[in-house]
Amino acid sequence: MQRDDKTGRAEATIEVEGLERIYPGGLRAVDGVDLAVSAGEIYGFLGPNGAGKSTTVRILTTLLRPTGGHARVAGYDVVKQASQVRRSIGVALQEAALDPLMTGRELLQLQGALHGIRRAESKLRAEELLERVDLVAAADRLLNTYSGGMRRRLDLAMALVHRPSVLFLDEPTTGLDPVSRSSLWTELRKLNDEGTTIFLTTQYLEEAEQLADRVGIIDQGKLVAEGTPQELGRLVGEPGLYVKLIDESKSDDARQLLAVHGAVSDRAEGGLTIRTALGARAIAPIVRTLDEAEIEVDAVEVEEPTLDDVFLAVTGHRAEGDSGEDGA
Amino acid sequence: MSSFAIERDLATQGRVIAALAERALRVQLRRAQFLLPSFLLPLLLLAVIASGTSAAQQLPGFPSTGSYVGFVVSGTIMQGTLLAGLMAGIAIAGDIEGGFFDRLLSAPVHRASIVLGRVLGTALIGVAQAVLFLSVALALGADFKGGVVGVVLTITLAALSASAAAGLGATIALRTGSLSLMQNLFPFVFVLLFTAPAFFPRALLNPVLETISVANPLSYVVEGMRGALFDSAALGSVWAGFAAGIGSVILTCTLAVWAMRSRVRS
Repeated sequence: MQRDDKTGRAEATIEVEGLERIYPGGLRAVDGVDLAVSAGEIYGFLGPNGAGKSTTVRILTTLLRPTGGHARVAGYDVVKQASQVRRSIGVALQEAALDPLMTGRELLQLQGALHGIRRAESKLRAEELLERVDLVAAADRLLNTYSGGMRRRLDLAMALVHRPSVLFLDEPTTGLDPVSRSSLWTELRKLNDEGTTIFLTTQYLEEAEQLADRVGIIDQGKLVAEGTPQELGRLVGEPGLYVKLIDESKSDDARQLLAVHGAVSDRAEGGLTIRTALGARAIAPIVRTLDEAEIEVDAVEVEEPTLDDVFLAVTGHRAEGDSGEDGA
Repeated sequence: MSSFAIERDLATQGRVIAALAERALRVQLRRAQFLLPSFLLPLLLLAVIASGTSAAQQLPGFPSTGSYVGFVVSGTIMQGTLLAGLMAGIAIAGDIEGGFFDRLLSAPVHRASIVLGRVLGTALIGVAQAVLFLSVALALGADFKGGVVGVVLTITLAALSASAAAGLGATIALRTGSLSLMQNLFPFVFVLLFTAPAFFPRALLNPVLETISVANPLSYVVEGMRGALFDSAALGSVWAGFAAGIGSVILTCTLAVWAMRSRVRS
């Protein structure tokens, strides 16, 4: 994360204040969103379909004008200085919109031309990026022969042609198999290590947890929670410890004994969950209590709250649900 | 902005327009459903008209152009360029529906450059069509008295006609963003074509069509081609053809850029 030399504070690369977008017909897709993303940060923007994620990204990438509020990206106003914003950002929108009748190499060179890069330089840059995303062998094949993972990698390469300082990725791994998803995550971490600020929307809680320094949760156009995955986890309450016994018939005795360590509940699949502020530090006392009562323990696992739990806690519904109809 | 910065910006936009034109040309030529209406269909119609209606040449008032195919090839070029313009609109609507258009809009390029890239690509297709159709007409016995100059002027008019048609196609595509609507505009190309003296001299059109043809700028372009090919002011004014062609390009491209701005604002 880059910091201002004088103040020592992290510089905000993306600043959003009271952002609003009301579509004709009255649908309020983005409803007063405030957020700030520091230089060099990966910010995960999490929410179900229709929550307002894509509309926010379209405004920040100058593809859509806000109906209220302000936003600055890389120091430029997204409405008044749209051209400067476009020079500073790389964009990979949903579904990897690529022309199926062009080759990977042609698309990269076209992207270079769109960013004012001269033909000779653009050719070299295309070659460099094809190597980076491991598409050299497929470079001269038409896009309609590419797999979903290959299209996503090319999409990312196109967003990087002009070496942007900020990268916007709208659901970059939707529809990808686990191997392709993991490979894209690795590439994004590498880019971030090189100093690129990444604004990433996702429906996948795991993706936000794996990649993001901070996460904003949007629901029905409003930012309902924001923080590091750990900070958000604390919104759910105390972490849980899952205790599995060798002899399940002793679980009633165990429940009574363990009540001194925290709130104990039964698990449907067997075993007990103890909620305690001590988290992993409670493992030793719990095992000792059970050992003294000659109740044998099969396993003890720490259960950190997931973003799914956070989502449920702050919105009242699961992230997998569909909370809107705009597809925004 | 300093004059150096303006020159640099113009050079950059020039590169953008050239790259988008190259893409338009390359992708359109890879699309079989484009080649059929833009190149084969006009040739088929040329063959049918030249063989089936050549007796029209005997009608009183029909100008003397040697072979009938020499007379109608201007109409064939016009048909081809109109269809190429429609295909340009279809391609833009496809880019909008498929999301590729957002990629163009998120790049630091002037909105006008995106329109002009497509228009330039279509103009080059118009040139290719004119060269092909004129070659076929020559092979079938046409004798162009206007010589090389006449052929070059005709090819230039074809490029203008294709550009104007692309501007119109782009305007409709940008206003509607609908691929299916663009695909259903196919019959309207023939309305435009048959309300201009594409295959018959204006004097032989019925009075209603003749009146409409006066207001149709394509009339002047197609007659300008004939005037150039046969070096005959009686067949059509080359100057009027260029005036109508250039005017149509400016009008339709301006409308397309407005449509683009309106789409981005919404």
